[in-house]
Amino acid sequence: MRPETLLRLYPRAWRERYGEEFLATIGPGALGLQQVIDMVSGAIDAWLSADVRRATTPASVARTGGGLMNVKAFMVCDRNQARYTKRDALIGAGVMVGATLILTTVGTVARRSGWPATGEALVNLSFFAALMLSMPFWLMKGQPWKAQGVIMGLTVMLLTAATYLAGR
Amino acid sequence: MAKHKDDALADLGRFSEPALFILISLADGPKHGYAMTLDIESLSGHKPGPGTLYGALARLEARKWIEPLAADDRRRPYRLTAAGQRVLRHRLQSLQALARVGRSRLSEA
Repeated sequence: MRPETLLRLYPRAWRERYGEEFLATIGPGALGLQQVIDMVSGAIDAWLSADVRRATTPASVARTGGGLMNVKAFMVCDRNQARYTKRDALIGAGVMVGATLILTTVGTVARRSGWPATGEALVNLSFFAALMLSMPFWLMKGQPWKAQGVIMGLTVMLLTAATYLAGR
Repeated sequence: MAKHKDDALADLGRFSEPALFILISLADGPKHGYAMTLDIESLSGHKPGPGTLYGALARLEARKWIEPLAADDRRRPYRLTAAGQRVLRHRLQSLQALARVGRSRLSEA
């Protein structure tokens, strides 16, 4: 896998701020498995960490013109460097709790209906899967659907594979 | 041992160790990412991954412990700020104190 491909997983503001030097640090050529894992976990961190957003935010504000309206809108929606409102956070929390309950219930029913391994996997994954499902409503709100799909899909796939392997 | 207010590297969680190595690497002058990677590998025997390196760099930059300089081609060097020097000095002092206690306990055993 090429570094340029994995760089697309990072937020746009991050890519604009660090992208060039990041690629220069890695150098050309294919990446090893350890580097791929490190870059994917770095991308997840770049989406979730308020610290990293703080380091890359001025560039994104400047890119949009840096006008007073933009800064004002940014400040309203971006308290404590978070790009979501209190309402978004509540919706995200609701989705997270609801999805956890549904997946746990389905897992429990599956376990009692003769599919113990599937049921166990569903119960174990319920919180993480629910967290991923809730992300479009708050942490990743407003980000490109492609990036959301890759980050969430990849994480759910990795978690599913890890749970499946652990259950064997 | 009381935690000094400037001994804030520990607040960086899993990035505290790479951040410490970055600060040490920049202590003798500005470096860009690739030079830091090589320096950290020679210091610790472990090459930091690019995601880890830039996760730590972004945190250090957000706290104004390091600052970027003008980019040289595609590579951008970073330098330690006065606040970064202070944080590094306190961290090294606390590690020195810890090493002293460890050594004295080893010699008692």
